[in-house]
Amino acid sequence: MKAKETNPNFMNGVPELLILRLLQQEEMYGYEIVQAIRNRTDAVIAIGEGVVYPVLHGLEQDGALRSRRKMVSGRSRIYYSVTAAGSRRLANLSQTWNNLATAIQTMLAGDQHAKAIS
Amino acid sequence: MPKPFHKLREQLLRAGVAPRHVRRYLGELADHLADLRTEEVGAGRSAADAESAALARLGSMDDLAKEMIKQRHFQSWCARAPWAMFGLAPALFLAAAWVVALFILWSGWKIFLPGAETPFGTGHFRLFDLANIYFQFGKAIYFFAPILVGWGMVVLAIRQRMQAVWPAVGLILIAVIGGASEVHAGRTAVPGGFGHIRMDFVLAPSVQGGYPYGLVHAAILLSFMVAPYVVWRLQQAVSRSA
Repeated sequence: MKAKETNPNFMNGVPELLILRLLQQEEMYGYEIVQAIRNRTDAVIAIGEGVVYPVLHGLEQDGALRSRRKMVSGRSRIYYSVTAAGSRRLANLSQTWNNLATAIQTMLAGDQHAKAIS
Repeated sequence: MPKPFHKLREQLLRAGVAPRHVRRYLGELADHLADLRTEEVGAGRSAADAESAALARLGSMDDLAKEMIKQRHFQSWCARAPWAMFGLAPALFLAAAWVVALFILWSGWKIFLPGAETPFGTGHFRLFDLANIYFQFGKAIYFFAPILVGWGMVVLAIRQRMQAVWPAVGLILIAVIGGASEVHAGRTAVPGGFGHIRMDFVLAPSVQGGYPYGLVHAAILLSFMVAPYVVWRLQQAVSRSA
């Protein structure tokens, strides 16, 4: 089954936010991260699964994530976890996202309200 | 490596993504694909169906390439500053190698030929004399440094799947510098007999009809340096036509 991918126009910065949030709770490797995003968003947010790695590598390059190689069931995995800089970045991104979501929600509610009274 | 990843690797390298980032990315994608395949087989698909479903979930190769290419900090220095990697850096490496070679010449002169007018013409040493080995080691560094620097550029160009322009510029530059170089040494040039070693760069002699030793030397160096690159380009052309 191939899930329909989320419209990329609405996805700017979202994978980064979700990845940082997930990894703040526990360290994970790429496949786990994608499955966790799919499960926790009820598959509303679906991206090409391989696209997660450039985001992970970019965050690591920026110092927001650290990685370590670990053998699990005879396979070598690269596990990612959040650094202190990553936690600060997550806080900033969350704040920005909440402000944006609130503003859009207000705008949409305002339109509905205007329709209701017209 | 699965075939789509082979194409992806070539696409990323040609776009300037650094080989170490490409290697890591493809390694993680291959692991991810294996996990997806296992999941799909576990869900009751045949091996062939599981493979195509797993590839579809991973994302199109163009999308996978695009996401990596658009991040500038994954670009190699060969892509970001080819002028530095194929112009400045090789010239600096060559200069460093020659400093070492000239130091060996000067120190050998002081140690093994303290009274000699020049350190050249060491024919009176036997083959396995320490002095002969010492001087020949320095000479080898001096003569082989341009070729080794050239091969270094060729390796960089091949690893990064570069077009021929910048490697060609770099190879010609190093061949010309290497071919034109001459070393002169004399004791009388400096008061106190401390010894004086200098380098000149002469491509063709100023006297009419003189033998253009520098140009010939540059051409020989260039042919040695460029040989591995030409072989690689021919291999590429053959594999593309096959």
